[in-house]
This record gives sequence, C-alpha cells and structure tokens, in this order.
Amino acid sequence: MSSRKKLLLKVIILGDSGVGKTSLMNQFVNKKFSNQYKATIGADFLTKEVIVDDRIVTMQIWDTAGQERFQSLGVAFYRGADCCVLVFDVTAPNTFKSLESWRDEFLIQASPRDPDNFPFVILGNKVDLDNRAVSVKRGQQWCQSKNDIPYFETSAKEAVNVELAFQTIARNALAQETEAELYNEFPDQIKLNANDNGRNRDGDNCAC
Amino acid sequence: MAGIGHPFLYVWSTAQMTNQVSPVEEQEKLLEEALNIVKVQAFQMKRCLDKSKLMDALKHASTMLGELRTSLLSPKSYYELYMAITDELRHLELYLLEEFQKGRKVADLYELVQYAGNIVPRLYLLITVGLVYIKTNTNLRRDLLKDLVEMCRGVQHPLRGLFLRNYLLQCTRNVLPDTHEAPNENEGTVRDAVDFVLMNFAEMNKLWVRMQHQGHSRDKERRERERSELRILVGTNLVRLSQLESVTVEDYRRMVLPGILEQVVSCRDAIAQEYLMECIIQVFPDEFHLANLQPFLKSCAELQPGVNIKNIIIALIERLASYSQRNEGNMNLSVVLEDGQEQEVQLFEVFSDQVAAITQSRVDMPQEDMLSLQLALLKLAQRCHPDKLNYVDRVLAHTDKICADIHQSSGQSTLEHHTPVFKELMKIIKLPCDHYKNILVLIKLSNYAPLIRHLSYQGRVMIAVHLINDVLETNTAISTPQDVEAVLGLLDVLVKDQPDQPPSESDVEDFVEEQGLLARLIHHFKSDSADQQYLITSTARKILQGGGARRIQHTFPPLVFHAYRLAFVYKDLKDQDEMWEKKCQKIFQFCHQTITMLVKAELAELPLRLYLQGALAISEIGFANHETIAYEFLSQAFSLYEDEISDSKAQLAAITLIIATFEQINCFGAENAEPMRTQCALAASKLLKKPDQSRAVALCSHLFWKGTRDGRPVWALNDASRALDCLKKAARVAQQCMDGGVQAQLLAELLGRYALLRERGNQSLTPSLIDAIIQKIREELANLDQSEEVEQITKHFHNTLQHLKNRIESPDPESLGYEGLTLS
Repeated sequence: MSSRKKLLLKVIILGDSGVGKTSLMNQFVNKKFSNQYKATIGADFLTKEVIVDDRIVTMQIWDTAGQERFQSLGVAFYRGADCCVLVFDVTAPNTFKSLESWRDEFLIQASPRDPDNFPFVILGNKVDLDNRAVSVKRGQQWCQSKNDIPYFETSAKEAVNVELAFQTIARNALAQETEAELYNEFPDQIKLNANDNGRNRDGDNCAC
Repeated sequence: MAGIGHPFLYVWSTAQMTNQVSPVEEQEKLLEEALNIVKVQAFQMKRCLDKSKLMDALKHASTMLGELRTSLLSPKSYYELYMAITDELRHLELYLLEEFQKGRKVADLYELVQYAGNIVPRLYLLITVGLVYIKTNTNLRRDLLKDLVEMCRGVQHPLRGLFLRNYLLQCTRNVLPDTHEAPNENEGTVRDAVDFVLMNFAEMNKLWVRMQHQGHSRDKERRERERSELRILVGTNLVRLSQLESVTVEDYRRMVLPGILEQVVSCRDAIAQEYLMECIIQVFPDEFHLANLQPFLKSCAELQPGVNIKNIIIALIERLASYSQRNEGNMNLSVVLEDGQEQEVQLFEVFSDQVAAITQSRVDMPQEDMLSLQLALLKLAQRCHPDKLNYVDRVLAHTDKICADIHQSSGQSTLEHHTPVFKELMKIIKLPCDHYKNILVLIKLSNYAPLIRHLSYQGRVMIAVHLINDVLETNTAISTPQDVEAVLGLLDVLVKDQPDQPPSESDVEDFVEEQGLLARLIHHFKSDSADQQYLITSTARKILQGGGARRIQHTFPPLVFHAYRLAFVYKDLKDQDEMWEKKCQKIFQFCHQTITMLVKAELAELPLRLYLQGALAISEIGFANHETIAYEFLSQAFSLYEDEISDSKAQLAAITLIIATFEQINCFGAENAEPMRTQCALAASKLLKKPDQSRAVALCSHLFWKGTRDGRPVWALNDASRALDCLKKAARVAQQCMDGGVQAQLLAELLGRYALLRERGNQSLTPSLIDAIIQKIREELANLDQSEEVEQITKHFHNTLQHLKNRIESPDPESLGYEGLTLS
C-alpha cells in the first residue's frame, strides 16, 4: 500500500470545440483569461496543487482537443483518470447535446473499474454572455438524470464558480482515488526472475 | 515477457528483418506484455521511493523505460505504452521534487542518470531529473533547456525520437521562460523559449518526414497512415509556441512565424506541409494571422505540388471571416509593401491577390478547387465587407473566367449536372442569394446573371426556382422597369426557350409548376406609382411575350390582372390626374392586345375569361367611351365562344359566364345591349344537349330582367315578357328530355329561377305560372322510382317550397310576394 504523502489526481476535461476547456483550466491554474481563440490540438496537461480536507494533492488537469481530427493518436490519456469534467457552452445548445456522447465515449475508452459511480462533473460555461440558450433547469435536469452528477455554471472569463467547481472535482477525484487504493495495486504476478536477465527483445541492434 | 527461446523471439526477429509491424492481435499481445512489465517495474519503483531507496527506484524506472525501445508497436500502441510509462514517471518526479524542496541533497543526480545503459531510458530520466532541477533552481533553466533539446538528438529512430521529444515538450510546459526581460540572464527570456521549441520542432519534423523515406515502397500507404497518426506530436510544438503569453504580434512576426515557415517550406514534404500550415492557422490567434497574412500566403505558394492548398486557404479565410464578423465590420490591415512601406489594405484585397497568384502558379490545381477558393473569397467578401458589393462582384467575375476556361478545356458550353465543378458553381451562385435574401441586390451584381448561364439547363432551372421562392418568401416588390428586366434576365431559363432544353413533352408537370411560380413572381412586379406600374407591366409583357404559347398562358394572366387593378387605381386618382381617362383607355388597349396574343396562341377559354373580366372592369370604371370598349371586350368574348369553343361542357360554361357578365354590366344602352342579348339567347337555344339548352335558355331570362337590389336603379331595358319567354322555353325544352329524373331536376331548378326573378320584381311570372310548375314537378316526381338522385331532387324541390311558404307567411315588403299561391 502506498504511503506516499502526496497524491496525484488525474482529471480529464472534455467537451465540444470552443466551449472554453482551455480557458477554464487557465483560469483555475494561472488565474488568467484571454479572449483570443486558440484551438487545442492533441492533449496536454497542467498541474496545480490544491488542499482537500487537509491533504495536499497535485491535480494533473488534462486539456483536450474538442475536434476529433486533432486526436490522431487516440485517447490513451483517458486511462487512469480519477475524474472527468464535461464542459458545454450555455449559449450553444448543440454543445449541451454532445455531453451524452462525450460521457459514453469516456466510459468506453477509459474503462474505469466502476463505471456507474465514476465521478463526473458538468460545467456549463460562458454564463457571462447574455445570449444564453440552455437554461439552468435543463442543465440540472440532465445531471440529475445521470446519477446526480454535480453541475456548475461557470464563467472562465469572469472567474465565476471556477474555483468552487475544481474544488469539487478534486474532492470527488480524491474519493475515487482512495477507493481505488483499497484494491490491491500489486501486479497480477511478480516473477522473481523477471528482471533484466534474458531481456534482449529490445528494438534493434543499435544501442538506443 | 520474452525470455530466451520465447516463441515470439522468432516472430520478432523476422518482423525486424522485414521491418513490418505485427498484425492487430500480436500488437495487443505485445502491448499487454509491455504494460505488464511497466506495472511491475512501476510498483517496485514506487516501493523503493517509499523506502527512500532512490538508486533502486531509478533502476526500476530505467527498466520500465526500456520498454519504449521497442520497434514492434504501431504508433497508437506505442502511445498507450508511452502514456502508461509517463504517468508512472510523474511519481518519480513528485518524489524528487519533494526531496529537493526539503533541501535534501541528491548530488549529481543529473550526471548519475546519464550512466543508464540505454539511450532511450537515459534521456527520459535526464529530462525528468532536469525538470526537477529547473523547478528548484531557475538559474539552471536556460542552460538545461538548451542541453536537453540538444541531447535528444541522440535518438534518431523516428517513432522513439518523436515520443521522447514529446515528453520533453510536455515536461517543460510550465517552466519555459515567458518574459522579455529576465531578472538574471541564466533564467532565460521568451526568446530562449522560442528557440528551444523551434529547435525541438525542427528536429521532430525531420524525424517525421524521414519516416516517409524508410522501408519498402509497398508499405507507403501504411507509412502515410502512421505518419498521419503521429502528426499531433509535431503539431504540439506549435501549440507550445502559441501558449507563450509574452509573445507579441511583433515577436510572432519577427521570430516565431519565419522560423516555422522556413522549416515547413524547406522540408519539401507534402504531408507535413499541409498539416503544419493548418496547424498554424488553428493554434495561433486571429490577430497574429491578420498581421502576417502576406508571409503566410506567400509560403503557401511555395508548397509542394501535392499539397492541397485549397484547404489551407479556406481554413484561414473561414477563421478570419468569422473573426471579422465577430468584430463587426471592415477589417483594415497594415501590410508591408515590396518597398518596405506600410499600407492600409482591406482583408479581401490581400486574399484576392494571393488567391489569384496561387491559382496561377499552381497549374495542377483541379478546377473545382479553383472554384472552392472563389467560394471562400465570396464568403469573406460578404461577411467582412458587407458594404462592398463590388468585392462580391469581383469574385463573380473571376468565377466567370474560370468557368469559361473550364468550357474551353471540356469543349462544352455548360457545366454538366452532378460534376464537382457544377456543385461548386452552384454553391457560389446560391451563396449571395441566401446571404442577401433580396433579388434586388443580386441584380446589382453585374456578373451574377452571366454566371448562371454556365450551368446546365437543369441547374439553371434549380437556381431560378430558388430565386423565385425567395422573392415570394420575403415578399419583395420589384418596382421599376429596369429591375423587372434584370430580374427576368436572371430567370431567362423560365422566360423563354433554351437551346439546351429537353423536349417539351418531357415533364409537363414540372414545366407547369415552374411557370406557375413565375406567374406568382409577376404578381410582385408592383409599384406605388401608377404611371410606373404601367411601365413595369408593359416592360414585363415585352419580355415575356418571347416565351411562346406554352409560357404566355401562364405569364400573361397576372399581367392582365395587374392592368385591370391599375385602371381602378386611376379611377381613384381621377381628381388628381386629369389624364386618367386617356390612361385607362391605354390600359385597356394594352389588355386587348395582350389577350389577343393569347388568342393568336390558339387559346380560347383563357382569353374569353380575360375579356369578360375586362368588360366588367371597364363597365365599373366608367371612363370616357367606356361603353364601346366594354362592348368590344364582350363581343370578343362572344366571338371566341362562337368560333373556338366546341366542347359542349365548355360551351355551357362559357355561355353561362357571358350571360353572367352581361347581367353585371350596367353601361350598355339599347343599341349595344340588344344585339348582345339576342345573340346570347340564340346561342343558348342552339346548344346541342337538351338539358344544357334548357339551363342556358333559363339563364337568358337574366339578360332581359335585372333586379334593383344593392341600390341599383330600375334597369331601363327590363323586358318582363321576354324574360318570361325564356323561362317558358326552358320549361318546354326540359320537358323534351327523355329521362324523367333529368326533367324533374331541370324543372326544380326552373322553379327557383321563377321565384328569383319574381322576387326581383318581374310581375309577369305570376303565382299561377309558378303553381303550374310546382304541379308539374310533383307529377314527375311521383312517376319516379326512389333513388339517391331522386331524393336529392325532392329535397331541392322541398327547400324551394319551404322558401315560398316562408315568403307567403312573412312577405318581404321590398319585393313581390306570392299572393294567391297555395301550397298544399
């Protein structure tokens, strides 16, 4: 069992292109916001230390590309996630409708141990804009119907609810991680002679 | 895992020789094995860390990293392995960081890990440790970054090298210097960060491009697929550059973009160029692109022939168009001219010039791609320069030229349906239409109509229908003769015969539907000014008369109705326009000509009705000389009846209309009324079938007796006895019918007419005459067997009787009653 004091939590942010995933992460980690739009390609993370119930945990937050064509290598980074944050834009109803498929896609690809109780958090972003098209009620209803997923209405631009949302994300991820640690992390079998001897299936004959 | 003599060893070594990646199942197996080793080694590494046995932990980390030396995994499997391993490495990093922060000396760690036996694990460890150094002592930053990016050159195997450098890029994300002035030079500035990433980018791009040239040519397809999967790793460098916040537009122009473009252009690899150019567009902000359009577009022109430039330009245009739309309005840009001078230009101008240059320089570009580029330019013009219609027109002119070239090379005069060029042109033509939703704007574009002519017949019809539906939907009024001419010019395909149209027998229904739409459009040719309306209508006729008999039967009626309505307008204007009577005469002359053209087109029923409608209008408007003109219209209708209508049903319908019209017209004196009513009565009595004859003759009674209802004065030409003669004759003819049911029916109808005319004041129709009819009907009905038809007649009859009874019981003081009539 691990007794390391510091905990590493892996959080994945998903959602359609342009909903503000990068901005939310930047607001949370760097307390910065920019109106400039830069598409994210691939997946990338930032880390931030937070304190949850007197424990220092390092959140490793994975920001991902909303457009599928920018994930040419697949989504191997879903694996081992402790929490999944789904973001939509409250002014764009189609991004809200996509939540379902993002959630399904995540559960299939990440294949968590207990998919029914895997922690998700939903963020309805851009509440600072006045052309809102998805009502609070609609957002809440959907979250309730999915096993009571926590729902936050955020504005990355004006830092509304961002801190609170990520606190919840960290707490729920931590609960997940602690639960996971109850399971034995021992590999299936340990071969005592499994070390270096005879391991010459290395790539090729060059030294690299 | 594979020990000596493991069955996989053989497979592996042959795979090695042919450099082939194993099939899917084997991939899974290999990956699973590798992941298992990672799990074991990671577990042990963490256990050692818990016990603070750093050297042992590093040894396990190194063994774990050794899995990344494989050549057997596909990029996706390798990525999974890489993810699993780097996830674990983060625990090592956290541990080291903590130790360092506690001030615990881990001397020479950076040197120590360099003793790891194999270069791949060594460099991963080096990066991990280097990162910890940088994080704990920023003074080492600049040198270490430089060192690391240089050291990575040690791995030249493309797949391994790409991932290793991706790890470097990932780890250094948070530690790149991002200021212009560092407190001390060892920390480095943003310039060092840019150099670091650009170097890493160049190296990764080289590894990536090299993949293309390794291995057997028969594996080209697989290789290209794998390269396409790996592109994200190379692109991440550009993401990193875009994340540097202290990079200004100016920095971007001076040190970032040139470095990227240089690498992109010089690598001479089509796959890399196409992807990286798109990447630049996506990851950097709009403001940067706007300030650097020229160098970017110039580089586009220098790309390899195989690069799909169209997609790159379109992506850029779409991005900037929506940006400019968000910022509302014309975008003025500063560009540096050849002579070094800066000049303000419009976004459109820059793109327009560069697109022209690119299409000219790339002879291999498919024609549909050239059209797609024009489509993108068109969008740009519409969205970014809403007030500049000339930009739109310029794109259309260009498109026109491209189409002409296409015809020249194909030897055909229009674009065939469903070809790629046809589809693109169709989009170009529809775009302004859907954007402005106003045909009056389209006709201001002098190159719009010519463009339509490049489409095949079917395509032209599709556009015409689309255009008309828009006018109907938006309820646009087309209100000058010039506009009418221009609008009909756009719709040429519906207005007149086309050299390439299909034979007229095909798809009559479609044709009728299209002409119906055109007719509905004509109703929108309207102006608030009466004089203008006249000009519009006559202009329209001039153009539409070229459409031939098939078309004018659909297009002329709305014109004629426009004209009649206009005559009423002049009537209302009689106090303001002293010429109104002359103008009315002219209008009806116009109508007369128009209807005559329909007659000449061998139509009969339609012009007959239009003449009658005209006669009614003339009589009501009552301008000078109107009686003569009304008579002319009515007599024209009558001649059509006599000369052209031969079908007995049509004859009955026509004579009924003529009689009804005459009944409504009040302007005739005896001189004109007499011949008209005698002719009608004669015609009625000459109808072929007895029931028709009976009905028509009965109707003729109205030619001789009109009531005084609705404030009409007593008609001077009322002739009670001739009206009675008609009814008597009708009864006689009815009784000549062989069929008892028909007889009863006709008499029942006749009874109604007797009652109607008596109530309108004709005293000759006495109650006793009415009684005689009633008795006759009763007799007939009694002789009939029950049937549905008979029931109907009986009901009709009883309804009339009921009416009479009501009138007897409560007489209408305004009209004649039925004194002496007893209904038993």
